Amino acid sequence: MATKLTSCGELDAYRKTLCAKHDPNRTCITVCGGTGCRACRGLDVAESFRQVIRDQALEGKVDLRVTGCLGFCEKGPVVTIRPKGLIYVKTTPQDAKEVVEKTVLRGQDVERLFLKDPQTGKRQRTREEIPFYKNQMPLIFGANFELDPQNIDDYIRLGGYTALAKALAAMKPEEVIEAVSRSGLRGRGGAGFPAGVKWASCRKAEGNGKYIVCNADEGDPGAYANRSLMEGNPHSVVEGMIIGSFAIGAHEGFIYVRTEYPLAVELMYKAIADARALGLLGRNILGSGHSLDLEINRGGGAFVCGESTALMASIEGRPGEPRAKHVHMVERGLWDRPTVLNNVETWSNVPLIINRGPEWFTTIGTGNVKDSPWGGSKGTKIFSLVGKVNNTGLVEVPMGTTLRKIIYDIGGGIKDGKKFKGVQTGGPSGGILGERHLDLPIDYDQLVEVGSMMGSGGMIVMDEDNCMVDFARFFLAFLEDESCGKCTPCREGVTQMRQLLEQIGAGKATLAHLDLLKDLAEVVQEASLCQLGATAPNPVLTTLNYFREEYEAHIRDGKCPAGVCKALVSYHIDPEKCTGCTLCARNCPGGAVQGEKKQPHRIILEKCSKCGICYDACKFDAVVRN
Amino acid sequence: MKTGNGSHEVRIGFYICHCGHNIAAMVDCPEVARYVEGLPGVALSRDYKYMCSDPGQELIQKDIREFELNRVVVASCSPLLHEHTFRSATQAGGLNPFFFHMVNIREHDAWVHTDRQEATAKAKALARAAIARVAHHSALEVKKVPIHPDVLVVGGGIAGIHSALTLANAGKKVYLVEREPSIGGHMARFDKTFPTLDCAACILTPKMSQVGTHPNITLLTYSQVEGVAGYVGNYKVKIRRKARFIDEDKCTGCQQCAERCPVQYKSYPCLPGAGGNGTGHGLPLEPELEPGLKTIVDRALDMHQPVQAPLNSVMQELTSADRRSPSREATRAPLISVLQDINRDVGYLPEPALRYVSRRTQVPLVSVYHVATFYKAFSLQPRGQHVIRVCQGTACHVRGAGRVLEAIKGQLQIEPGQTTQDRKFTLETVNCLGTCALAPVVTIDSNYSGNVTASKVKQILKPYA
Repeated sequence: MATKLTSCGELDAYRKTLCAKHDPNRTCITVCGGTGCRACRGLDVAESFRQVIRDQALEGKVDLRVTGCLGFCEKGPVVTIRPKGLIYVKTTPQDAKEVVEKTVLRGQDVERLFLKDPQTGKRQRTREEIPFYKNQMPLIFGANFELDPQNIDDYIRLGGYTALAKALAAMKPEEVIEAVSRSGLRGRGGAGFPAGVKWASCRKAEGNGKYIVCNADEGDPGAYANRSLMEGNPHSVVEGMIIGSFAIGAHEGFIYVRTEYPLAVELMYKAIADARALGLLGRNILGSGHSLDLEINRGGGAFVCGESTALMASIEGRPGEPRAKHVHMVERGLWDRPTVLNNVETWSNVPLIINRGPEWFTTIGTGNVKDSPWGGSKGTKIFSLVGKVNNTGLVEVPMGTTLRKIIYDIGGGIKDGKKFKGVQTGGPSGGILGERHLDLPIDYDQLVEVGSMMGSGGMIVMDEDNCMVDFARFFLAFLEDESCGKCTPCREGVTQMRQLLEQIGAGKATLAHLDLLKDLAEVVQEASLCQLGATAPNPVLTTLNYFREEYEAHIRDGKCPAGVCKALVSYHIDPEKCTGCTLCARNCPGGAVQGEKKQPHRIILEKCSKCGICYDACKFDAVVRN
Repeated sequence: MKTGNGSHEVRIGFYICHCGHNIAAMVDCPEVARYVEGLPGVALSRDYKYMCSDPGQELIQKDIREFELNRVVVASCSPLLHEHTFRSATQAGGLNPFFFHMVNIREHDAWVHTDRQEATAKAKALARAAIARVAHHSALEVKKVPIHPDVLVVGGGIAGIHSALTLANAGKKVYLVEREPSIGGHMARFDKTFPTLDCAACILTPKMSQVGTHPNITLLTYSQVEGVAGYVGNYKVKIRRKARFIDEDKCTGCQQCAERCPVQYKSYPCLPGAGGNGTGHGLPLEPELEPGLKTIVDRALDMHQPVQAPLNSVMQELTSADRRSPSREATRAPLISVLQDINRDVGYLPEPALRYVSRRTQVPLVSVYHVATFYKAFSLQPRGQHVIRVCQGTACHVRGAGRVLEAIKGQLQIEPGQTTQDRKFTLETVNCLGTCALAPVVTIDSNYSGNVTASKVKQILKPYA
């Protein structure tokens, strides 16, 4: 790494030397080091490769790079071999030797480590051949494959910070805002507010001391795109923020990362330190006269701190209680100063827009933003596709892609051959959509129209074994737990809705309860102080609208069609199928299964807590649920 | 029968009142009158419908003169109602009113019985006792004693406040003495009252305010009763007015002096272990921390210094003339970061550490607690050696995180939030760890396990057992 760069020219020269030193034809083994792959011993795989490279005296001839998340979390640890671009999945430390000896040294494939097409059995070797990757448009996420997140040189070599240089050297702050406005970039945190409009308001706001903030709280359960961006390409966020600070005139910024993301925190700290050392942060950045310093704040485990006013309260050292937003954050935010707050993914889009121009950005996505940035949803969005699909992972697609394409073409369809039931978008603030919505093009407005929302991109797929009533209850229980308690409609209303849903799940409700639930939902929506409460009824309202038969089955027939609601199901062992293997008895946490070895077992209903562990464990389908 | 002092014979007039149906419905009054007639010392025995009526009272007066009675007994309702009436009648008849005795055969007898025979028997017994007693009565004189009408109420909690107001509103001059610097007592420190869940302050503070402004109340706060002499109606009380060093007439309560005072003396006595029990003996300036803990807390505080806003010099130059909300910005105590470091290094937030942090950062202890209890990442209880976190996010839920949690609960025999007896494991649930593709996810300390099922739980826990 060089010493401080004091001009755009020096940055450019530095990049050129890095490019010159880089040999694109040299073999590079990249191992995914994102949290997901780490949980599958990804770092052990990397270490194993490191060892083999050393043993085979290949240091200096073969590169090893530990990257951030590569998105295909279902099949991790993911290893890629460049320049061929081969993708090996579900690797283990033991595979390192074989991969190096065969693929690296002799150019031969290790067939068993490739993905296989489930229909044809054909091997899929590269991203172009793997449907999960092929059907994506990885404008933002693609860089994760190319760089080591702990190495600022990789980022610069790939063109990082050129957007910053362009903005500082060739553009006025107003022109930067104009570009972002024309691009139609809307907030990727969930609400989809046009970034350009936000920045313009903040620039106009009174006061010299402005703040710039990155919302990396990503509280939505099921969403982890932000985490992977920070772990994979932290500098893209930093660069975006520096450009933003230049545009609005801020000199101090904060990145609020939730405490449950320790790796992201660590990597952001390193990125900031490295940027500072190179003169990309601090005083007089690249000789432009603009100064910015960034600080990292960790969250405290409160979902509500993803809400902008609560987040700022938390940065100020106070409990994260939101306030009413009749005065916006862009006028009085952090410490009552004008503040721009944007999501991680929003910031990552900024360098792209500056470099390739807003017109290019508008070619991707839906709608028309010529007259107003609200007229469409432009660019790509990273979704975390999880739940009952075959290929879980992070998926980047242009706005307007249909649910069907994401779930079936990219996601590989429903796991274990089950039937699709619904997909939840937008986290606890979103809604649950059903089969009739599979051809819905996903963008901000379409999702809101059907009662859901984009949120931070969580997309949870459910099959016939998931109960919608239970799901709605689950979300309300979550929100009840996370509600800050400040306003009555949310604090009391969400609790009451949750209790109503529990009654329905217990088979103790009547149809009148559904009307009450709907009424209550409408009140909570209208009267809550912040969006946590205001969107809390979405799961309830969408499930009531799209899955009413399921509610009625619980109420009228006292049945849970998915077999989830404990009060309405019971487990039995079919003595014809039971082989007496004792697996169920050994796994039962309540000691409710009785039986001798090799003899048919029995479930003692009084002791059974309906947890379903035996049902999962039995290999002979002998446990029956009805 | 002789009188109690044996000086002369008693001549008792006995009257049993029917009280309309109230007594007569259950007690056979004529029968009781007949019975009493035979008792020693009884000069006459009557039953009458309404003794408290004018004719009834005149009857007593007439009988005293005509039959030279020297004692009167009336068996009727509660003395609370008519003792005065009959004493007056007795006096009007020429006898000392205290030679009259009243016995309650209504509330104590007729109204609590359902059997006439039992009721009548009891009435006889009560009457007999009264007859025996009245012989011992002495003549008493009503004396007038000069008393001081003012009232001293000791203690300015809600009871004292309310008593003072009641008395003052009735026209009495009241002195309200309170040993603490302010009235209000415990109620001022509570949030809600039982059982109505009313806001305590909303009830209390209007009364406090009234006490402060009432023309009949003299408020003596920060004062203590040192000695009480005298007797009922004529007390002489010595009160020590503790030195305030403030001229109470001039003080407007602007609190500027308190803000500038470098000595922080009083703590929050309502919190457990405070050592402050309202006696005014607060905690030392810096609470004692045991050395190991002190190192950790000091390190956390030094890592995240409270700074004069704005943070960096660039901002300071630009914005010195443009300050908003100076008090909020003035001292930026990065409280959450400090607490996070302590929580990580100690495993939880011990109370002494929180007090120490409050002192050093100048953030009131109640605000420190507000933050410490708001965020789930903090634990106020000691945690086990290993912290097991089971993700309860949506993706994990959909893939059966509930069953995994059941299995762990079953194996460790604890609920989420609890720690095992041997302090080895603490079980917590987390709302999303962000590794959703590997749902269900469990972490033990910083080690992640993905695709966990109930049957895998045993192996996951094994290395830590």
